[in-house]
Amino acid sequence: MKFIPDKDILLFKSCLVNVEYPGVESSTCYIFDRIDVDYYVDEKQSCCTGLGHYYDLFDQISTTALAARNFHLAAETGHKNIAVMCATCYAILKKSAKILNQNEEARNKVNQILDDSNLENREYTQGDMDPTLNIFHVAEIFFNKRDEISSLVKVDLSGLRVATHHACHYCKVHYNDTIEGVRDPNLIDKLAKAVGVETIGWYDHKSVTCGAGFRQRFTNKEASLAVTAEKLQALKDNKVDLLLHMCPNCQMQFDRYQPYIEEKLDTEFNIFHLNISQFIALALGADPYKILGIQTHTVPIEPLLKRLNYSLESNEKIDVEAKKSPN
Amino acid sequence: MKTIKLKKESVQLVKDVLKDIKASPDLGIYKCVQCGMCTSVCPGARQTDYDPRDMIRRVLEDDETVIDNDNIWNCFSCYTCNSVCPCGNNASEINQILRQMSIDKGEGMKKIVSFTAYGDSFMELGVGSIPSNFFDVMVKDIGPGYMDLKINIEDIRTDLGLGSYILPEKAIDEVESILDNSGFKDRLKKIKRCK
Repeated sequence: MKFIPDKDILLFKSCLVNVEYPGVESSTCYIFDRIDVDYYVDEKQSCCTGLGHYYDLFDQISTTALAARNFHLAAETGHKNIAVMCATCYAILKKSAKILNQNEEARNKVNQILDDSNLENREYTQGDMDPTLNIFHVAEIFFNKRDEISSLVKVDLSGLRVATHHACHYCKVHYNDTIEGVRDPNLIDKLAKAVGVETIGWYDHKSVTCGAGFRQRFTNKEASLAVTAEKLQALKDNKVDLLLHMCPNCQMQFDRYQPYIEEKLDTEFNIFHLNISQFIALALGADPYKILGIQTHTVPIEPLLKRLNYSLESNEKIDVEAKKSPN
Repeated sequence: MKTIKLKKESVQLVKDVLKDIKASPDLGIYKCVQCGMCTSVCPGARQTDYDPRDMIRRVLEDDETVIDNDNIWNCFSCYTCNSVCPCGNNASEINQILRQMSIDKGEGMKKIVSFTAYGDSFMELGVGSIPSNFFDVMVKDIGPGYMDLKINIEDIRTDLGLGSYILPEKAIDEVESILDNSGFKDRLKKIKRCK
């Protein structure tokens, strides 16, 4: 397996984590702090262009030039390894690094753009960023340290029926770099196992897209939500309580639109949605509001916490073992 | 049996596709055996008339009408086709190249004009945001809680111990300058004109 670092990491900010599920970032930091991952967040880092890129509004050279600037920021602060919380950042940054390394004409063009922008010192030299050995999803960093995570578990989540949704832009774009399965992805299933939760594993539609499809959600809403609805139905057929995510765009598609789809189809799915970082942080005893950020979710997480015997009023976790009846 | 005959003079489109900056050096379009795996796993094909196998065939047959065919805009960019292709081809990547060709020709601009506000926001803040026309629909679909989230996002981030997500001014200037020199600013202006 490829080498996965635990130091010199730039935790790459994601536009959708920023404003949709910021708790994914605070949960990631919470976990990193406890498993001794050395990381840094850079306020100067720009967005990867994600939504605009796959809407085809951005051209590839503009996206790549912005990536080169971000790669330089990572290197100049001594954080050459990039860890992303969004699968589309993952796909775009790897693609840009590949272009910069393999396509001399494009590299020269990008460097000319940087020169023209008075950023000569930010020029990209072939090999500066290795797409395979320097760019990771945070889930991979967790996976590499899963034994340490296991040793820190404080909350028993094993009573939940859990399934996983592995983001397409992590699994299927640069599939030679994907760990723990492409067509039958199991990366987050194994992370759930590390915190004591056996997922349902394979289910019909497991590897199918969330349905967002970038422009599709906006311009072709019926087709987009039909894909989401089919996956939700497959999860309901498997009596799933909670779906785990690794991409904020997928999480939006399910969490924001599940009530809408329920109303349209006159059905109830009653499935909770958490990012893998939020789920691990929960298992490690993090506060649902101050770390997980469940207040930004559309499908309320409070009923799930009640099942876990959380006292929401006091914001304090009640020891699951202690709550069990003595008889 | 019908086979695709590649005549020497009939490979201009596939050559243009392979020359595109987006085309991976190992893109296996010539190895396509028209097995149809891509179409069989494609959410776009399941929901619409988009057919990635047919799109690849038309590229190989130098059928330029594929560029302005409406169906190419139904791809979800999920790359499931890429992950199952036995030949190392990548229909999703080729789709994106064809869309850019359509944009360059002009016709495709109509397809992206609705998202230009994202580009404006990117140059102003260093991060893109969902254009207001789509945002209004989202608030309607998701509910008023979604608007509350947007209003309170900075406070929520502070509660979570996170800083502002908007870039410092100097960084925004750098981003804007890069997007000016890369031609993106002009591209955005051109796209807006087709409104």
